[in-house]
Amino acid sequence: MSLRDQLSQRIEQALQNEAYKAAYDQVITTLRDNGFLPNIISVGDRFPDFMLPDASGGLVDLTSLLARAPVIIQFFRGDWCPYCRMMLDSLAEALPDIKAAGGTLVALTPDTHGLALDAKIAHHADFVVLSDVDYGVGLAAGVIFRLPPLYRNRLVLSGTDLAVRHGNAAWFLPVPATFVLDGEGIVRWRFADPDFTKRAEPADVIEVVRALKTGSLG
Amino acid sequence: MELTQVRYFVTLSRTLNFTRAAEMHHVSQPALTRAVQRLEEELGGPLLYRERTLTRLTELGRSMLPHLQAMLDAADNAINLAAARRTQPRCSLKIGLGPGISASVIAALIRDVAAALPKLTVSFEENDALRITELMLADDLDCALLPGDWAMPERLNRWPLYQDRAAVFLPDRHELSQMQSLGASDLGGETILIGDRCGGFGVRLIETTGQEFRQFRCGGTAAHVLELVGAGLGVAILSERITLPEALTKCALNQPLLERPVHLASVAGRPQGPAVSGFIKLCRAQRV
Repeated sequence: MSLRDQLSQRIEQALQNEAYKAAYDQVITTLRDNGFLPNIISVGDRFPDFMLPDASGGLVDLTSLLARAPVIIQFFRGDWCPYCRMMLDSLAEALPDIKAAGGTLVALTPDTHGLALDAKIAHHADFVVLSDVDYGVGLAAGVIFRLPPLYRNRLVLSGTDLAVRHGNAAWFLPVPATFVLDGEGIVRWRFADPDFTKRAEPADVIEVVRALKTGSLG
Repeated sequence: MELTQVRYFVTLSRTLNFTRAAEMHHVSQPALTRAVQRLEEELGGPLLYRERTLTRLTELGRSMLPHLQAMLDAADNAINLAAARRTQPRCSLKIGLGPGISASVIAALIRDVAAALPKLTVSFEENDALRITELMLADDLDCALLPGDWAMPERLNRWPLYQDRAAVFLPDRHELSQMQSLGASDLGGETILIGDRCGGFGVRLIETTGQEFRQFRCGGTAAHVLELVGAGLGVAILSERITLPEALTKCALNQPLLERPVHLASVAGRPQGPAVSGFIKLCRAQRV
């Protein structure tokens, strides 16, 4: 089943719960109403340079990653999010094809304190997972937003304390956007949606990487 | 939210003057005002009171400022660190260690920073929490590992790093050295070495058990106390994270279990060089 179908099945079921639906709607309408999308860096922009801690240890910089371009930068919210878990599983499954196409996959989460490593292990994610500590790279990429109160309250009640997970009590999150960069660090393809249950389809990303490799991306 | 919006607001929070903030960023005042308005829309309310003669932060502005400042610093630091990786500047990292807190915990992280920034100089200062705090505030230390029960001033950011636990350090030749773990009752006939800069586990053992122990007091650090253990003066109750010197053994202390949280601290809002920001990010990202 495609990631898209898995995600839509899950959200359809989740929306049966009225309280969840209200929290979900508040996130999406807030982001749609305040003109969030145009702030996100887009095709043709240079992705901001960075160096961040790797979940497995050490510091990783974008320049080193670009030596193995195209580079796919995938923001995710954390292992606490069921949609992120589905996406990470789906990316882990697609990884051999991504590599075969010549791409390098990197996932960024604001989670700290070993939680990025937990996610990497739990999802057999054999790609680089970085902690975007205090949301710096997410801010530079324009993907960070403040979680509206209803969703935030639901997380608190379910024991998901983002202040603890992030080591920062801001209650900010990234939209789970995907960027495909060429060897110069220029964004050549982007997926971004205010609806966190909508994610880039791995098959589409692989097609983009192939096209970039063969020089046929329009 | 957008980087420039956050940058403008952080500057505005310092100048409390739209004209001056706009000048500092070389933009027109209406452009700066619009950017801050967009940030306000996104954060769900006004960040500033705009009065004729007085601009000041609202409650939301005050509560969001430290977070926005931290995020802006993180964005700048991620770029500066990547640039330093390319240019390889000389840089320094001055770390404070509270009483009895071992540098072994962070040694691998310092290696990771040095791998990215080979011209790194590292220095350590082991001292009591008050002195370490003073040195951080005076900008003589970049960051520190301190006991979690230390009442840090608000100007310091702090993040829990790990839960420290006491172990018994004794000579290899000691009859208890073969035991997997020890309790206070096993130590009845022992002399407990109490160092005044060792983290206080020895004193806690005596106080929590109410048991009578022979004590030997020493004005020194864990390293000094371990020298005395090696010479056969007694046993020491220290952090299990301390690397074992030759000819000594450490046994887990399980009765009572003595623990303390250890936090990473740094001065909020102070500009950080690439080595410092890299080190703090590594500490925060991992479970040490």
